[in-house]
Amino acid sequence: MHIPDGILPAKIAISGYAVTGLFTWYSLKKINQLDNPQAQIPKASLMAAAFFVASWIHIPFPTGSLHLILNGLVGTVLGYFAFPAILIGLLFQAVMFQHGGLSTLGVNAAVMGAPALLAYHIFQLRRLLSMSKRKPQEAEPIFPEWEGGVTIHPKQPLKPQGPKFWAAGFGFLSGALGLGLSVLLVFALLIFHLPAQLDVELEQQAIYSLTLAHIPLVILEGIFTALLVMFLQQVKPELLKTQ
Amino acid sequence: MKFGLDEYAYLDSPIHRWSPKCRLLGLGALIFAFSFVHSLTLSPFMIGVTVILYRVSTLPLSFLLLRLRIPSFFLLIVAILTPFFTGSTVLFQLGALNLYKEGLQLFLLITIRFLCILTLGLILFSAAPFFINIRAMRSLGLSPILADMMLLSYRYVYEVGDYLSVMRTAMRLRGFRGDRLNRRNLSRLVMLAGSLLVRSYEKSEQVYKAMILRGYGQSSPIHKVQVERPRDFLLLGAHLCLAVSFIIAGIVY
Repeated sequence: MHIPDGILPAKIAISGYAVTGLFTWYSLKKINQLDNPQAQIPKASLMAAAFFVASWIHIPFPTGSLHLILNGLVGTVLGYFAFPAILIGLLFQAVMFQHGGLSTLGVNAAVMGAPALLAYHIFQLRRLLSMSKRKPQEAEPIFPEWEGGVTIHPKQPLKPQGPKFWAAGFGFLSGALGLGLSVLLVFALLIFHLPAQLDVELEQQAIYSLTLAHIPLVILEGIFTALLVMFLQQVKPELLKTQ
Repeated sequence: MKFGLDEYAYLDSPIHRWSPKCRLLGLGALIFAFSFVHSLTLSPFMIGVTVILYRVSTLPLSFLLLRLRIPSFFLLIVAILTPFFTGSTVLFQLGALNLYKEGLQLFLLITIRFLCILTLGLILFSAAPFFINIRAMRSLGLSPILADMMLLSYRYVYEVGDYLSVMRTAMRLRGFRGDRLNRRNLSRLVMLAGSLLVRSYEKSEQVYKAMILRGYGQSSPIHKVQVERPRDFLLLGAHLCLAVSFIIAGIVY
């Protein structure tokens, strides 16, 4: 998933840094608008380290094993800190494991970080839905159990889906869309910027096949994120209350 | 769990003695200049510069070879895809497979460019402890939020890595064998990742309190990394000239 050094032309590598600079500026602007941004830094940093390490967990898969990207989950938990956290994680991977690259750091950060920010906004939508479910309930008149010797049964409200349901659903969407968009961006970059000497038709077929092969992984990442969100909501719900 | 990045940070070589700020600019420019190279005719020069810089840095060859383990997988894919499926001039046939001249040239170009950039990156980040490099980036205008996040993440990534090792060992000792993808195994792995996140979050609260007690947020002075000497600027100038030459040559050829 990480584009290594030497593959992309220089203009794309430099454009990648420009896009990453823009996203970083926007994220930092949003972070500085928080009440006490400094208080969030240790949390974001340790969580960034934890996500970096959590991506080493290998998931068994029919063809062997794979590791998750978790960019959707990073967005879900860290909010606007997600982009800087991903940028740092990718720098560590390039420097410590030579996975990815220094010249392609900008491109890799943009294709991983932008979907993470989108995942954050998608996950926040659950609040709107759970609020719209709750409002009519609150507005409904509360009848006393006993009134003038006659028991009045209140109209049974529709059973609302609990916050756990919404969290899991939006967790799945965030995780799957986070990775899905990254896959699409990486392969679009590879297709549109293949070196001229390559047999374009053959290479494009190979890239399309690879993209399709990623669909089960996208679903798996979505399921993993949904389960992890449910786990966090049960064990440490404050972790999901981003900004 | 150590990654050995700072293992050779205290060697005594002209690269190690070079001011971190100038080293970051000089080698960074060269890394970008190498990505402009699109012709095999420039490759010997690229290799020459990289070999000279690696020799001058006195980093052992075993260090570089060790670092090539993960990227070698990528090189293997390029080696399979490009020489046999790219081009029109057949060099020789291996059964049903044709080895093409253009594909072989492309494979050589990608591999050389990749190895040269990787080696320069290794020199850049191994010639000083990582926190010195972050300070150098900070003095070059990196946002304080990013610099603090980088320092803290780097400081705790080893510790979080150790948590993971301990938890994995504990799971194995309790009979967990994650060799099949099923609901039970997936939920165990979710709990493993979740516990890692919760432990890190709880640790971050302690870290923040300790940082506040030590005066974090009172003032954020930019630490002077190292005073630049004329020799540092001279080296930087030489690297920038070299980088510009590669960019021009890359565009022309």
